[in-house]
Amino acid sequence: MNWQAITLSLKLAGSVAGILLVAGLPIAYWVTFSRWRWKFLIEAVVALPLVLPPTVLGYYILVGLGPRTFPGKLWQSWFGQTLPFTFGGLLIASVLYSLPFAVQPFSAGFETVDRTLIEASWTLGASRLGTFFRVILPLSAAGAITGTVLSFAHTIGEFGVVLMVGGNIPGATRTVSIDIYDQVQAANYEAANRTALVLLLFSFLVLSVIYGTNRRAMSLWRKP
Amino acid sequence: MPLEVAIEKQVSGFRLAVEFTADGAPLGLLGPSGSGKTMTLRAIAGLETPDRGRIELHGRVLFDSAHGINVPARERRIGLLFQNYALFPHLTVAQNISFGLRRLPAPERARRVEQQLAAAHLEDFASRYPASLSGGEQQRVALARALAVEPAALLLDEPFSALDTHLRSALERQLRQTLETYQGSTLFVSHNLEEAYRVCEKLVVLSNGSVAALGPKEEIFRHPPTLEVARVTGCKNFSRARRLSDGRVEALEWGCTLRVTQESAKPPVHVAIRAHHVRVHLAQKLNLQNSENVFPCWLAAMTETPFRVTLDLRIGSPPASPADFHLQAEVFKTEWESFRDLPQPWAIELATDRLFLLQD
Repeated sequence: MNWQAITLSLKLAGSVAGILLVAGLPIAYWVTFSRWRWKFLIEAVVALPLVLPPTVLGYYILVGLGPRTFPGKLWQSWFGQTLPFTFGGLLIASVLYSLPFAVQPFSAGFETVDRTLIEASWTLGASRLGTFFRVILPLSAAGAITGTVLSFAHTIGEFGVVLMVGGNIPGATRTVSIDIYDQVQAANYEAANRTALVLLLFSFLVLSVIYGTNRRAMSLWRKP
Repeated sequence: MPLEVAIEKQVSGFRLAVEFTADGAPLGLLGPSGSGKTMTLRAIAGLETPDRGRIELHGRVLFDSAHGINVPARERRIGLLFQNYALFPHLTVAQNISFGLRRLPAPERARRVEQQLAAAHLEDFASRYPASLSGGEQQRVALARALAVEPAALLLDEPFSALDTHLRSALERQLRQTLETYQGSTLFVSHNLEEAYRVCEKLVVLSNGSVAALGPKEEIFRHPPTLEVARVTGCKNFSRARRLSDGRVEALEWGCTLRVTQESAKPPVHVAIRAHHVRVHLAQKLNLQNSENVFPCWLAAMTETPFRVTLDLRIGSPPASPADFHLQAEVFKTEWESFRDLPQPWAIELATDRLFLLQD
């Protein structure tokens, strides 16, 4: 069992889910409540990773973050290493790749919040930020949880983007899905089988626990 | 004046242009749905931005398009009771009431919540969630929540429309008591005229986005200035009218000539009378010499309610069908039973001091 790869996958997925929770909520808020007429363009950009082949996305990220580009140079001057084929590069690529899996459930959650509740909060003196944390977020918790879980699970399972941007460096970019691919390539089916099963059980467990908790939290105040 | 409103707003196909003031006494905003009542309320609360105009509350300018002032809703200190109450479903009754009290120190916050719970008789519900409350209880929580922040004005948007009839009168009495002790201005939106009449001292009648009448409620009900206001205040009987000599008008649709006491500077366009002011007598009355505005009438149709009946009556000749009638009369059942079996025509009396003249 390649524990190094499993740990790396968990670390990557956890970081992506955390970053997307912080960065995805404001994006989703804007997408839901903005009345800008060109909003659909931004929505289309956010949804791109859903339809692009991971190789295409990975290719552009690889080119865009390379040592000759502006973001690549900036990163290098701060951290002293290039982005491609490092954990940092993999993290950025994974965040972009999982963006719609976080933003769309968040946004769907915000949509369900009754507009008059938001207005009631304003008339009671709450600011926009206060209204977000005291009314909108608690009422769309299901969407926030779903988005976070999906971005976590999606990152665990990603393959094409990792291969393009991260390569296959043990401890830095060799995630579980790459490891399984390697083992199958090396005809090491027993190891591939074990790792795949662990991944399957883990994913199922995480999803069940979170969806289960989610439902109980909702029913607390929804049921009379 | 505590509350001064003069605003204009154009929204696709509808133009709102209203101007009125409110003093301490509750002011009723009366009008059919789509007349702009709710939009007016939302503009005052800061949830809708007018195109032009000015809103001033207790000397504080909340909106002034000429000076670019538009105080955001959260700083207006205006309590708004939403039609659907808009209680936060994830917060308990006590948490809902204390929602607007974040900036107060904890002991003061607790005191205010206690006070509102007691005033609304909600002590036993403090830790319950809104979903487990009845409609009436939810309405009381919403009112307590709005009052807890001690708003400078209280806006009530059809507060009883979502309730069963038997709950309404009890809650309405409670609301009237609450409003008596409330110091700020109150605006009460309703399309139910009796409810607005009981709760408010003054009325603003809105029609198609503009003020059709404004004044003390008795005045508006006694002398509605226009056909629209008469309709909104519940009048059912109208006829186009032509002025004859002084004090007489010809009711064109009713086909009769009426003596009226009301003076009218402009030539009247319509003559009207409320259904419960129409009197129906036995036919003998027709033969009396001094009977003014009395005509023979026939029954076209009849509608029964528990204690009253509404009679659709035709003047002058028997009706061709149940829909062929001129006026509606509302009479108590006991009265109705005294003449229902007697031969027609009966005598209809449109008393001179009950008739009123209307402009378009």
